[in-house]
Amino acid sequence: MRSPFRPDSLPDPAILDNHRPLINSLERRGLLRGGLSLGALVMLTGCDVKRPEAVKSALLAISRLNDDVQALLFNPNKLAPTYPASMILRPPKFNAYYDVMNVKPVDGATWRLEVSGLVADKRPWTVQDLQALPQSSMVIRHICVEGWSYIGGWSGPTLRSFLEHVGADLRARYVAFRTADDYPSSIDMATALHPQTLLATAYGGDTLTDPFGYPVRLRMSTKLGYKNPKWITAIEVTNTYPGGFWEAKGFPWFAGL
Amino acid sequence: MTRAAPLRLLIWAGSVAAAIASAHAQSPTPGGMPPPPGMSLAASTAMRFPQPVRVGDLVGRDVLRPVESQDVLGRVRRIVRDHNGRIMVVVDFGGFLGFGARPIVVPIDAMVLLGQDMEIVAYTPQQLRAFPTFSGAGVSDAAGDTVIKVGLAKPSH
Repeated sequence: MRSPFRPDSLPDPAILDNHRPLINSLERRGLLRGGLSLGALVMLTGCDVKRPEAVKSALLAISRLNDDVQALLFNPNKLAPTYPASMILRPPKFNAYYDVMNVKPVDGATWRLEVSGLVADKRPWTVQDLQALPQSSMVIRHICVEGWSYIGGWSGPTLRSFLEHVGADLRARYVAFRTADDYPSSIDMATALHPQTLLATAYGGDTLTDPFGYPVRLRMSTKLGYKNPKWITAIEVTNTYPGGFWEAKGFPWFAGL
Repeated sequence: MTRAAPLRLLIWAGSVAAAIASAHAQSPTPGGMPPPPGMSLAASTAMRFPQPVRVGDLVGRDVLRPVESQDVLGRVRRIVRDHNGRIMVVVDFGGFLGFGARPIVVPIDAMVLLGQDMEIVAYTPQQLRAFPTFSGAGVSDAAGDTVIKVGLAKPSH
């Protein structure tokens, strides 16, 4: 049967002869090769044990692009889901880059929070200073990159109120943290100013206990768990990319939810 | 090369980047280490920053093995006090998909909290298999609102 798609008038077969060299160069294989060249390059460099840093830098460039896209999509006014207080897991789930036995408790009486970078007031803070700021509470889900989650209830001043209080330049790009357990971390200013970003000092209505970051830790509803440093000892407002503990090992920096 | 190809390539490369990152998710120090040889269970719990928890909140929790695969060893059935007043956990141990499990009694200090789950850190599955089946004799239930202290561990994966 004649194909219904066959044109009524066929082109002159001579056209094939006229364009023979062009048709010969139209190989499917060539197309495939062309389409895969970048992927093939990545795979080949992956096999080249002498230059793993080439692969790493290519993949990190893509990770940074992902960070930029996430920052673009971030809505500073959109709130993450919250839960009733009855769903708070007590005690919360412990995690760190070391086991709980290696936790080094911080003495709240001698603890000071250093403030540096693009801020007007660089006086160190005490626990009482933090308690004097207006307090917020939120019951949010803690979501770990490892695949687990739990619902936790956190209280403390918002990072925004802290930054406003010290006269931080709110147009700066980054807020960086240093901690007593040598776990540097940093976040974008938009997330730092989000209403669900707390300098948490309490869990489930009680003062934070030692393994969970006493006297103060970061808790954000909009980022993965590893972006929430515990036992914070210093906060810096900066325009220079500060990185972080896992970020230096290849984890995404923005890590939004 | 179609217009969609670069996008697909980007997604592919992105997923490779994610895979490389998760290869690092292994933390340098494992969690849920057994007590050092010769150390009492109570002393090892004291090292694990024991936290207050309601007895009633423990019943029904999965009990995991502190290894990377986090095999489910059983489930918390009851919390009891033995004749010395020590808190013990009755675990429905073993079986397959809940069938064939038998209750055994594990001291609370042999276990840790792991978020919503618990782990038995002081005994291997081989040792637990040799535990006698719990008969219910000589113990009393701990009231649901009793607050006890249980050690912590980081996830073992």
